[in-house]
Amino acid sequence: MLGFLTARQAGLDDPLRLRRAESTRRVLNLKLNPDRDVDRIHGNGINSIDIETIEGRYMLSGGADGVIVIYDLDNYSRKPQYTCKAVCTVGRSSRHVHKFSVETVLWYPYDTGMFVSSSFDKTMKVWDTETLKPAEVFEFESNVYSHHLSPIAKKHSLIAVGTKNPKIQLCDLKSGSKIHVLQGHKAEVLSVRWSPRYEHILATASADSKVKVWDVRRASGSLFTLDQHNGDKSKSASEAVNTAHNGRVNGLSFTADGLFFLTTGTDDRMRLWNSATGENTLVNYGKVCNESRKGLQFSVSQGCSPEFVFVPCGSSVAVYVLHTGELVTMLRGHYNNVDCCKFHPDHQELYSGGKDGNILAWVPVLRTSDVEEESDQKNKGAADSSGVNRAFQDAWSSDED
Amino acid sequence: MRNIRLSYDSQPKFGAVDDGDGPADIKSTIIQLMTLFPRKLFNDAVPQIVLKHQLYCTHDKTMVDKEVNKLRESGSLLMFQLGFDAEAFGLVFAADYQAKVLAGEEGKATQATVEKFLEKVVSKCTDLSFSKDKMLKEFLFTDSEITLLVKSGVLTVRDAGSWWLSIPNAGKFIKYFIQGRKAVLGMVKKSKYGEVLKDDLEQRKTTSQVKFPLKYHIQDIVGAELVESVPTTSGKLLRYVES
Repeated sequence: MLGFLTARQAGLDDPLRLRRAESTRRVLNLKLNPDRDVDRIHGNGINSIDIETIEGRYMLSGGADGVIVIYDLDNYSRKPQYTCKAVCTVGRSSRHVHKFSVETVLWYPYDTGMFVSSSFDKTMKVWDTETLKPAEVFEFESNVYSHHLSPIAKKHSLIAVGTKNPKIQLCDLKSGSKIHVLQGHKAEVLSVRWSPRYEHILATASADSKVKVWDVRRASGSLFTLDQHNGDKSKSASEAVNTAHNGRVNGLSFTADGLFFLTTGTDDRMRLWNSATGENTLVNYGKVCNESRKGLQFSVSQGCSPEFVFVPCGSSVAVYVLHTGELVTMLRGHYNNVDCCKFHPDHQELYSGGKDGNILAWVPVLRTSDVEEESDQKNKGAADSSGVNRAFQDAWSSDED
Repeated sequence: MRNIRLSYDSQPKFGAVDDGDGPADIKSTIIQLMTLFPRKLFNDAVPQIVLKHQLYCTHDKTMVDKEVNKLRESGSLLMFQLGFDAEAFGLVFAADYQAKVLAGEEGKATQATVEKFLEKVVSKCTDLSFSKDKMLKEFLFTDSEITLLVKSGVLTVRDAGSWWLSIPNAGKFIKYFIQGRKAVLGMVKKSKYGEVLKDDLEQRKTTSQVKFPLKYHIQDIVGAELVESVPTTSGKLLRYVES
């Protein structure tokens, strides 16, 4: 670490190198911290978590009981022990709460004044955060599994919605219309994701084992369908030609740069694809246990080298190296199945939620302090009896006044 | 450029014992595994077969996949879809395969067709299966020749109009293999807590169900992730994975 700092100071190293090395070191040291907790509001399982990208301060969670909670992740309490408090809740007593389980929640990409939630009660609601009332309700004919807003869209404000119906609907936030439909899948659509690189590219995953990539400006259908054997028709049984997985595809996630994306399926496999060509990079992650009948939310790290992917695997979260497929560690701590996890890129923390109703915060372990510092602190401990970190004490105000 | 040395062990392994890793080269590992294959059991009619996932025990999975594909492209290794599992692929050295097949065909009516097949198709193309179109147009085989090839065991039916490449007399191999795998898995499952030390398991007496060397089966169940291999201070521990 000191070596990296000196090199950066002297100009031998790019500033990004120090940042990458430190981020990677922090991700490799993720552990459950007894000092960090998240308020327990949900009575049932948590289906979806989202952290806003503007400040990285507020977290949304949607639960199986239809409740939506917003938490404040920042610690201004001057104490190392901190519980992330719920700032506001759309609880069961609210008039506008979803009737059944909330499957996906998402912040509006540009500010925290708005968020969108979709649920098994066949509606998708666009909420105003200030008043906690829905500004717009989109109704569908069947259960909504997943929705996504493009994080970089400037020319459109479309929400892609995946429902039990094989057609993908695009709802426009500006006009309220939902006439734009993408046809091509043959079974329910379990997951939809916009590319973080190009605002018109959309990837969708379905229970018919296929993953399709679309350009929404194009009228005639998908750009390409992913093939796990890369066109080598001889490898699979003939019914499995042109499929991304040998089972339902229930998880989809782009990497932060948008060059690759990952899919997980109920055939217990995870695959990494090149997003420009649709080619399977054939990275072998081994058996990634997956029994979810609905969508699975997993997360890719950002700003580390090598990048890591955090996948919920049964009741723990598995951490794999993205490009080599090596299993780094399993994060164990939940009491029941984990359904969703989200990586906080600025603090290198991981938040995961599951059927036990808990959201766990996995925090990088701080370096252990050196021996000299400890003996110093022992001497000053007698004088410093307030227990507050000396960095927070101001040295200029007088105590007598 | 300095390399960033990263240790992926977030939990320090206190004195975990690791039996010395095998050869770093994948081809040598394949050869090593092939010595475990019991040739006498099949009266030398079947070439030595190794399963691709057996290599996942000792080497990084993605690297294994890449190396195997390289060897297949170069023509020295052949891969077969064995049929009992969509992900189980058998590997045989091309030279071995050719020798055994030709030896098996000595004096049979199908010999000429099989020779033609080996020469034209197997040495040129790395596919695992062939469709009717391909056989008729690209390789110029007639329908009756295809029937002879299926009869001799080099092709097995996949579905209407396409065939898998296969190993003649491999049926016996697959039967004994599945039997043995079930028996060894049963041994691990019935142990106390569903786990057993790898060294212990290798010393145990096997029932008559298990025809192959125990090591062969152990590499198979570890590679296919039917058991979890946990490093401990007394060697590797195999824990049964509920599926």
